[in-house]
Amino acid sequence: MSFLPDRALDHLRNVTESPDFSATRYQVEEEIGRGGMGVVYRAWDAQLERRVALKVMDAGYVINQEAKLLAQLEHPGLAPVYDAGTLPDGRVYYAMRLIQGRRLDEFLRQEPRLPARLRLFEKICEAVAFAHNRGVIHCDLKPQNIMVGEFGEVFVVDWGVARAIDGAALPVAGTPQYMAPEQSSPGGHTLDARTDIFALGCILRDLMTGYSTTSPPRPLAAIARKASAPDPADRFGDVQQLAADVGRFLDGLPVIAYRDTLPERLARFWRRNQVLLLLLGTYLAVKLFLYFLAPAIRWKP
Amino acid sequence: MNKPLVGLVAGAVLGLIDGATAWFTPAVRSEMEGILMGSCVKGMLVGIICGSIARKVRSTAVGLAAGAGFGLLFAYLVALMPEPDGTHYYLQIMVPGFVLGGLIGFLTQRVGVAPAKA
Amino acid sequence: MGGAHGPFPTTRHSLIRSAAGSGALAREALDSIMAVYWKPAYKHVRIQWRRSNEEAKDLVQGFFTALIEQQILAGYDPFKARFRTYLKGCLDHFVMKQDERASRLKRGGATTLCDFEAAERELAGAPSVEDIFLREWQRQMFALGLEDLRELCQSRAKTVHYAIFAQYDMAEGDRPSYAELGAQHGIPATSVTNYLAWARRELRRLVLLRLSSVTSGDPECQAELRVLFGK
Repeated sequence: MSFLPDRALDHLRNVTESPDFSATRYQVEEEIGRGGMGVVYRAWDAQLERRVALKVMDAGYVINQEAKLLAQLEHPGLAPVYDAGTLPDGRVYYAMRLIQGRRLDEFLRQEPRLPARLRLFEKICEAVAFAHNRGVIHCDLKPQNIMVGEFGEVFVVDWGVARAIDGAALPVAGTPQYMAPEQSSPGGHTLDARTDIFALGCILRDLMTGYSTTSPPRPLAAIARKASAPDPADRFGDVQQLAADVGRFLDGLPVIAYRDTLPERLARFWRRNQVLLLLLGTYLAVKLFLYFLAPAIRWKP
Repeated sequence: MNKPLVGLVAGAVLGLIDGATAWFTPAVRSEMEGILMGSCVKGMLVGIICGSIARKVRSTAVGLAAGAGFGLLFAYLVALMPEPDGTHYYLQIMVPGFVLGGLIGFLTQRVGVAPAKA
Repeated sequence: MGGAHGPFPTTRHSLIRSAAGSGALAREALDSIMAVYWKPAYKHVRIQWRRSNEEAKDLVQGFFTALIEQQILAGYDPFKARFRTYLKGCLDHFVMKQDERASRLKRGGATTLCDFEAAERELAGAPSVEDIFLREWQRQMFALGLEDLRELCQSRAKTVHYAIFAQYDMAEGDRPSYAELGAQHGIPATSVTNYLAWARRELRRLVLLRLSSVTSGDPECQAELRVLFGK
């Protein structure tokens, strides 16, 4: 066996990895990302004359029931699947909408305002909740798998490791930082919506950091902690509950995840009813003022 | 509950409370019934007007201003009526009337259901 | 898409699970492991442990012998680490143990070792030892795949396919054009495209087959696949 020089090795790695779409209507332009279980390319659909994203799955994946279900999920926050097929080397590919935008982690570097971040988070929850209602969990939610469009629209992408709710866990699927404990523990644990809720809690924690030098608000930190609790039983029951709690925080209302102290409750009451309290206070002050000075202030023609 | 109704109820209740505070002025205690009635009616009028405005205009500032304005006006009309001894209590009636009117106007903006915009 | 996925193309994961046992299957498994890992292991011992070529050969042979005799692979747990990582760890441990044994026999004081080579590598921004092991593993996987491809082409009377592939994809200098290759082998230039596509596909399949024989299951194989082809 002769020695394989570096140049030849790199070339062989490249040509054996590159997908062969010559028998399809797609012309690969460039690789745009590597995600869970596959590589994404930007391509030209010669038939419909538009650009698409082609996700080429690693060897060993087949188009199965879950993939078909994903193709049927129609939601503004989910990139639609246009087409699917198999390459000559047996790899499966999907043609999807090409999303123009920034990844969430890039977006956060340019958006320091917490309310804007949290409203974006609500949109993420909406998309994920939709998938959950159709029986599909993502299993690899992380800022790199969330795209923010130029108009602030949100897309949850890379469903490469998604599976049906109550599907069995496979070892090492997902990204460690955002992986629920039940995903990474060996064999036999069923996964459900709370697996994604764990990841959403970690994402919420990311949203809370880096926007200001002060520590994040306690109710919000409590929401993130509850969502990313190690025990699924301690997390929110579903994504809608998580989103609702974040919404309550944005509206200045008490949240489920956090029990306010008395000073905090009073402070919130004051923030929500400033005008009313000022008017009542003014009325009382006027009345007291007039009570003590009334004998001196009368008009008599 | 629609906005004019909110104004009516809030005006009546707050008017009654405002009228009841006249008890702390011994000189007018004998007139309590009339004061309560007048104050209540004053409040209800302000409330209905503010509620009607709130149906068309959704602005806290406008509600406050309208309520305070009409509250002041009606309080002035009431204060114009002298006591039996000829005394006028302009300040004691108009200032609280002004603030209370603002409060009624604020409540009509925040509470109640406005008709959907076409 | 993820979830329940189909079997890896012609997997041989059961092979590595048999490596810790005994019998013909264990022997086959160990042969498979040695074929893939002997060269990366040798280079690792040479670079990481700074041994001469003779010492490195002895150590690597000793290591693979120990793999068989001491059933080192019985301790492998696929849920804790990839096989490649585990094997490298075992190799380092083996070399360390050999050093301890040798130093117990030696008499005399310690001498200061000036590691100019390591210092020089740091200055030059050389790849880490880990990267070198990884690179050699990639090299060996593809080298074995090329051998398998050559044998496959010979057995299927596709020597022209292999020749074109070797001339183009393994060219060290400028690559010949498709027209030149076609003219040389008496086939149309469009056929050259097809021959190359076939050879590349087969090479990929054969490399994946080799990979499956040194991984414990599909998840590890997928992860190693990304490392093998990844940028």
